[in-house]
Amino acid sequence: MEKINKVSVPMREQSPSERIKNFKSVPLGYSEEEAKTEAQRCLQCPDPVCEAECPVSIKIKDMIKEIGDGNFKEAFLIAKRDNPVPAIAGRVCPQEDQCEGVCTMKNIGDPINIGKLEAFIADWAMENKVTEEINIKDKKEKVAIVGSGPAGISCAADLRKLGYQVSLFEALHKAGGVLQYGIPAFRLPKEIVEEELSCLEDMGVDIQLNRIVGQNVTCDALMDDYDAVFIGTGAGAPKFLGIKGEKLMGAYSANEFLIRTNLMKSYKFPEYDTPIIVGDKVAVIGAGNVAMDAARCAIREGAKEVYIVYRRTINEAPARNEEIHHAIEEGIKMLELVNPVEILGNEDGWVSGLELQKMKLGEEDSSGRPRPVPIENSNYRMEFDTVIEALGTIPNRLFLSKTTYLKKDPRDRILVEHNLVTNIQNVYAGGDAVRGNATVILALGDGRKAAASIHKYLGEKANAQTIF
Amino acid sequence: MKHAITKKVDLNNGDYLMEVEAPNVAEKFQPGNFVILMTREKGERIPMSVQKAEDGKVSLFIKRLGKTSKELDRYKVGDSFFQVIGPLGIAPEMKKYGNVAFCSDLVCGHAENYAFCKGLSEIEGNNVISIQTFPSEGDIYPESELTEHLCDEFYLTTVDGSKGRKGHYLDIVKELLEERKIDYIFAGGDLSKLRDLGELTKPYLIPTIITVRQIMIDGTGMCGSCRVFVDGEMKLTCIDGPMFDVHKLNFEDILHRVGMYKGEECKAMTAFEKQ
Ligand SMILES: Cc1cc2nc3c(=O)[nH]c(=O)nc-3n(C[C@H](O)[C@H](O)[C@H](O)COP(=O)(O)OP(=O)(O)OC[C@H]3O[C@@H](n4cnc5c(N)ncnc54)[C@H](O)[C@@H]3O)c2cc1C
Ligand code: FES
Repeated sequence: MEKINKVSVPMREQSPSERIKNFKSVPLGYSEEEAKTEAQRCLQCPDPVCEAECPVSIKIKDMIKEIGDGNFKEAFLIAKRDNPVPAIAGRVCPQEDQCEGVCTMKNIGDPINIGKLEAFIADWAMENKVTEEINIKDKKEKVAIVGSGPAGISCAADLRKLGYQVSLFEALHKAGGVLQYGIPAFRLPKEIVEEELSCLEDMGVDIQLNRIVGQNVTCDALMDDYDAVFIGTGAGAPKFLGIKGEKLMGAYSANEFLIRTNLMKSYKFPEYDTPIIVGDKVAVIGAGNVAMDAARCAIREGAKEVYIVYRRTINEAPARNEEIHHAIEEGIKMLELVNPVEILGNEDGWVSGLELQKMKLGEEDSSGRPRPVPIENSNYRMEFDTVIEALGTIPNRLFLSKTTYLKKDPRDRILVEHNLVTNIQNVYAGGDAVRGNATVILALGDGRKAAASIHKYLGEKANAQTIF
Repeated sequence: MKHAITKKVDLNNGDYLMEVEAPNVAEKFQPGNFVILMTREKGERIPMSVQKAEDGKVSLFIKRLGKTSKELDRYKVGDSFFQVIGPLGIAPEMKKYGNVAFCSDLVCGHAENYAFCKGLSEIEGNNVISIQTFPSEGDIYPESELTEHLCDEFYLTTVDGSKGRKGHYLDIVKELLEERKIDYIFAGGDLSKLRDLGELTKPYLIPTIITVRQIMIDGTGMCGSCRVFVDGEMKLTCIDGPMFDVHKLNFEDILHRVGMYKGEECKAMTAFEKQ
């Protein structure tokens, strides 16, 4: 038997000192040889546990086998069959909680770098202009999709492949949702997002930008004009702490900070017109992916010192491991067990610091993490020039206020049945609009599931019509 | 979609009018809505008031100030903008208000004044009073772009008194309030004057709704940069406004935040002028 290789092939990366000066991809990608070597470490388990953990059920074992054998095209087609955007998912999925988290190799050494292999194979296909061959047999039914994030993208792709006439309505001037405006280019290069989106257009999906459903298109009009509607509007509105000082200049929501940086490219100001102001000393409140992204953008946009301010410890942080690791490598400091109680300002109305209360860890709460408990009389102050609140986001009120007939839970998440239908029979929903803050891959999975449900619904409807 | 510029007319030395093709916007526009304009792909998303929306086109009043507006000025009839997005914001209902006034003293306010006078005068039972203030005679817009032909009572003031009544719209409002019952006031323009207007109408308990200019990016409630505090509660100018009850606003906050990017604009201006 071949010797088992316990150590994974390391990913070459831009050095921290170099990369904090640019927005280029941090990982440099596997070479063909590196990818093969990594893939050959796979044990090819008879019962691949990794696949069971994949929200879109990629045939991971087969994909890795083909990579190991150097059959890159086959490997790509396997990935693409279940995931319309492998180059994206490979880069942003929380693999440690999914496929890689259960990889059998983890028992004896490093898990297989599945995400990196997925990204490799998608990049390879892009470079070599290898695409999926699709034969679309047009159907007459029309489906409207609201929101062009991962949920909308995957729903559109699947329905179009099935022959439906698909229109995708996006509020912003660029498609992609969080992939475009939220996740920074050093983690997810925008050319990749655009390339994967262009596949949609090539398939004949009609992408309509600047169409804000509820504002310049009504949802009722969509329900009348289309046979089915899918809502993938995400959870894009920022949450604020609601503490004193949020009106100060230099206080940002992470959304604003990231939209300026990523969508509007403020890091290329003044080539791009949109400015951003990043002080020398920056505090980012929160420790999820959004917080890490904001912190890493801030350091790239000229901040001298950046702190993650978190009320638990970094062990409990919800961000992907890789992001925390990269952030620390880039010099971002972790200020743990503190809770901001006020943003302090100077007489000109600019942020001057934070008042922080110390915390300790208590018993487990409903999230399974130890609850942060305030320590009495422990407040102290720290100077900052910029404060970014990254506390997660909530569903956008604009859409919901115009669709009051849709059933929602108390946190404004749209309620759906297991097949993702809402309380309206031809309206489906998925992704963050239904889950609150979740992940790219769960949104992708929802989009696919909704597409299957819509296909079933429209098929049944068509059959009923031929019978009667 | 291309947004071709179909008309460009100087209003005075500083302000000009641009008419742009934007059928999606024009179809749905209501007085009180605004649009977001991007001149080019690398441009900012600039919120703008709309004066008119007709025949698939919208007319904007623009000030030659700041880098983006300077850059905007380079666009001529026949050129196209990258995006005109909207209509955005909540439009107040065009209904019977009775004695209703619109006051303005700056470009965006004048555009809104026009849109409101047109909307309000189409409704029976409204006595539409329009007050427009300009610094001096030379700054007054051409007659066709003023509101006189759209309203029942028209007042024009110049700050230096060179034409029309001397003073600001505030002076006229004060007179009117002492003279008779005014049912409703709308206003747009200089924020500090809007604050003064609020002080003026408060003792009379007259509902006073003003347009708030705040820093915006998406205009759809996603970034939170346009937040203002209304009765202490955080609201977003783009989706809860842009028109708010002046008596509930905290002006100090608004005036502060609006100036946040002044320094950056100067930098951009220098870079732009070097080009
Ligand atoms: C900064 C950041 C980093 C993240 N990092 C990761 C990560 O590393 N890994 C991961 O798995 N997840 C990550 N997430 C979470 C992940 O991005 C989301 O869970 C996912 O994007 C949700 O997809 P979605 O399609 O439901 O919605 P979104 O991606 O939010 O897309 C919704 C789209 O709908 C549009 N829209 C909203 N309202 C309307 C309307 N009325 N009309 C038309 N269009 C509308 C929006 O403009 C947007 O484009 C991150 C999120 C953020 C913000
Ligand atoms: S402009 Fe972004 S929330 Fe209003």
